[in-house]
Amino acid sequence: MAQHAPTFPRRTLLGAAAAAGTFPRFADAQARMAPITIVINQSPWLDSFARIVQLYERESGNRIELDVNPFAGSLEKQRNSVRAARGTTDILIMNSGWFAEMYFGGFVQPITDIDPAYRLDQGVYTLGDTVFFDAATKTMNARGKLMSMPIAPLIPLTYYRADLYREAGIEGPPRTFEQLEANARRLNRPPRMIGMVQRGARGPNSVSFDFLPYIYGHGGGFFRDPANGDFTVTLNAAEGRTALDFYIRLAREAGHPRTAAMDQADVIQAFATGRAAQMITVIAAWSQMDDRERSAVVDRVEWAAPPSVAGKPTAPGLGHWLAGISRNVPDDRQRAALAFLKWFGTASTQIAFARGGGIPVHAAAYRDGLADERRFRWMKPMAEALPHSVNPYNFPEASEVIAVLELGLNRAIAGEISSVAALNGMSSEIADIMAKHGHRTGKLEPLR
Amino acid sequence: MRRDPDNWWRWATLSPALLLMLGLGLLPVLNLVVLGFFDVRWADGRSIWTFVGTRHYAALPADPLFRASIVNTVLFALGAVAGQMLLGFALALLCHKATRGRVFWRALFVLPVLIPGIVIGAMWKLLLNPDFGAIAQLFEVAGLEPLDWLGEASTALFAVIMVDIWHWTPFCFLLFLAGLESLPRDVYEAAKVDGASAWQELLRITLPLMWPTIVVTFVFRLVLAFKVFDEIYLLTGGGPGTATEVVSFTIYQRFFTEDRAGYGAAMSVAVIFLIFLMLAAAAAARRRVQS
Amino acid sequence: MQRARREILLQLALVGGGLLVVLPFAWVVSAGFRTQISLLMGDFWFTPVLSAYNEVLFSKTSDFLLNVRNSAIIGLASTAICLAAATLGAWSLHRMRWPRWWVHLLLLWALVLQMIPPVALSGGWFVMARAVGLDNTLAGLVLAHATLNLPMALWMMGVFVRDVPQELVEAARLDGASTPTLLWRVVLPLVAPGLAAAGVLCFVFSWNEFAAALNLSMRQTATVPVAIAKFAQEFEIRYVQMAAAASLSAVPALLLLLVAQRWIVKGLTLGAVK
Repeated sequence: MAQHAPTFPRRTLLGAAAAAGTFPRFADAQARMAPITIVINQSPWLDSFARIVQLYERESGNRIELDVNPFAGSLEKQRNSVRAARGTTDILIMNSGWFAEMYFGGFVQPITDIDPAYRLDQGVYTLGDTVFFDAATKTMNARGKLMSMPIAPLIPLTYYRADLYREAGIEGPPRTFEQLEANARRLNRPPRMIGMVQRGARGPNSVSFDFLPYIYGHGGGFFRDPANGDFTVTLNAAEGRTALDFYIRLAREAGHPRTAAMDQADVIQAFATGRAAQMITVIAAWSQMDDRERSAVVDRVEWAAPPSVAGKPTAPGLGHWLAGISRNVPDDRQRAALAFLKWFGTASTQIAFARGGGIPVHAAAYRDGLADERRFRWMKPMAEALPHSVNPYNFPEASEVIAVLELGLNRAIAGEISSVAALNGMSSEIADIMAKHGHRTGKLEPLR
Repeated sequence: MRRDPDNWWRWATLSPALLLMLGLGLLPVLNLVVLGFFDVRWADGRSIWTFVGTRHYAALPADPLFRASIVNTVLFALGAVAGQMLLGFALALLCHKATRGRVFWRALFVLPVLIPGIVIGAMWKLLLNPDFGAIAQLFEVAGLEPLDWLGEASTALFAVIMVDIWHWTPFCFLLFLAGLESLPRDVYEAAKVDGASAWQELLRITLPLMWPTIVVTFVFRLVLAFKVFDEIYLLTGGGPGTATEVVSFTIYQRFFTEDRAGYGAAMSVAVIFLIFLMLAAAAAARRRVQS
Repeated sequence: MQRARREILLQLALVGGGLLVVLPFAWVVSAGFRTQISLLMGDFWFTPVLSAYNEVLFSKTSDFLLNVRNSAIIGLASTAICLAAATLGAWSLHRMRWPRWWVHLLLLWALVLQMIPPVALSGGWFVMARAVGLDNTLAGLVLAHATLNLPMALWMMGVFVRDVPQELVEAARLDGASTPTLLWRVVLPLVAPGLAAAGVLCFVFSWNEFAAALNLSMRQTATVPVAIAKFAQEFEIRYVQMAAAASLSAVPALLLLLVAQRWIVKGLTLGAVK
């Protein structure tokens, strides 16, 4: 059966009016497609995604089943499905932590294998080119095949208390690390107010994720040139040391006394209860800040791209979600899945998605009048930061590397070991892991 | 004459349990044991098994997480199980002797075990929060300085053990109560006639008669304590550092998160051996006490 | 006087223990009626709201009542199968003629099964279930839970079964009772307390079981723990919704407990009529 791209006029507003009106029918009589299943995790942006799915079902007449899982269970379910002879789900919503595993394992059907003519809309953010994959060279850059559609471009932004800034006479968003530290010190009034709250706890991807904008924003990085396969470990270069020392100093002198035990929930909690002046946290928590039932700082929070060293661009780490199509499901379901993903990636859908509370992946949504509304004041900083987002983990053994980083950073922040010892130790272990898995790697001279 | 139907009956009554334990248990266990000698990778949608012999087992002692987790888990299991059994037994005795409101107390003391592990972890994390948890507030009301139970390496394991005791004492309570209630009355009546005190009654009659129940409770609580995961996952995540890293965490990290199925399987088998060692040691100790 | 004083001490001890148990539990239940911010700020006084329950029961992506229904069916069915298999099996192993090594082997095997970490077991079960089409079915989970709880039930019923006095068994045999009659009329009433305790535990374990339920179910067959776990999210824990869901989840288990209590009492009085 030939693949037809659905053509139908779309609405730009979700809501009761749309529900009451007549629905534009598919121009193409063959557009009725097989019902598909999407496995996705429960999250703050799930509701908006569910609404978008409902809109698709109404407009196209196709059925989509959402299998919602706890976050600590999504990967398990997806692995079960892709490793079986016949998959249970058609679309996999993959986290930045495991999409590489899915690509490398050959579990995701390249989109261009289903529809060779399809190209991503120009405005869609490719999020560090992680939507592409070349199975031959095992690299992720625009020369590879298109594998997935971005679903949630989750990167950290700086959240700061504009009211406190005003009171203290501090100007605008903190753009450099110097400004961040100066502001933190100014506003730090323990124990009632903490200048800057950061993560320090060990977790599946906790403190190391928070550390990303620091090390990359200082011009450093974990590997020398991962996009082209050079995994020489640069964690313990001078920039890495400056970044870690800065992180620790900020925690000790203007941060939470229990930083080494703070995980993501604790950090957001400290900020939402009004006890912290600044934090660098993933954008997904935005909806909580203006919700009277979940926040004590309603309407007092502003957002900014994460700071960096003067002269270098912002460098938020990617904690994003991509939608891939399973390889072990029948052809008609793959095509139906692709039809949904294509519809999802169009500008008008993305604007509707944003209106419903989602975080859009298309630049058009960030240019829309929506971005000027008070409720969506985070969109402009997002648009500024997204093109610079960094993905250090374009290989499947990422979780082993992350485990090393988590333990080492946690111990350094807790003061168990010095930052130099931590960096040297982690670099050595990571180089060993990369070598064990056959990547091109090496180590730098240990720091002194 | 009785042999044939007897033989049929002994197989017939055993077969449901046998079917379940072998049918659903044999394959996964064999798979796990075999997996411990291989490395598994996935490519092109298929799995590739590579034989590595005992390399995984050899790597275990060098794994810092595994070393820490074994120590923590043994401490945790022994501490928590001892606490639960003592408390459960005491509560069961109290409940058994109470003449009024037995049904009420029985229902009440069972409550904590009805809550799923993740909720226990999340709720106690909030309760123990030094900034605004209820426990900290109680401390402040009493004029004491609230402790950071879960954030300090020195107190974290202790706090986790306390939470586990709160959660699982009902298990011991239920079993001990059932055991107490099926004890024969006549022995007690004879002892009362002989003028035995409550303490002697406990030591000479109750404990020995309850011994099989105690053994089963101990064995299964110990095994379950080794598998504890949900509560600790949300309480501390294994931290601070590795202070509350338990073995099921390490297995989860290696087997699942890092997708090293062979290594994780070897670790699981090693832990099973360790538990057997502990049980054998307990049995040997008991034999020595008896003689 | 002595007895009255001892009775008072007893009641005091019970009340003390009761408070220790109930206060955190009551805190969890009350958390379900708060707003998240009120809980996080640690306010003592709060105005109750129903938004948490609202979200748990009626949100677009929640199927809580369906989850409760699934958990109830799975819990009752798996407990029934587990208790039947365990009691019959325990009777067979301990009171019928088997060589010692066979009894020890099976009991040991049961223990080994109990020791396997869930993460290692569930993946294998998914593969097996998918191969026979039992994944995403209630039947698959019933079998899985029955197997998970069988080792504990088998050992527990072993204790109670061994306590059945041999004279009663002999007497029944002399009266011409067949094995089923013996089991039904003599053994069952005598092991009723153990049966009730094991049954409660099996049901509660099944009700709260997460790993197998996650792997073997999808949306239509998901159980309560899977629903509750959804509130522990990537960036935050939705405490009040989790508390509301947990409170709702404790209700059926509690009801079952109260019913089982009656049965213990009935079993005891039956047993007393010898």
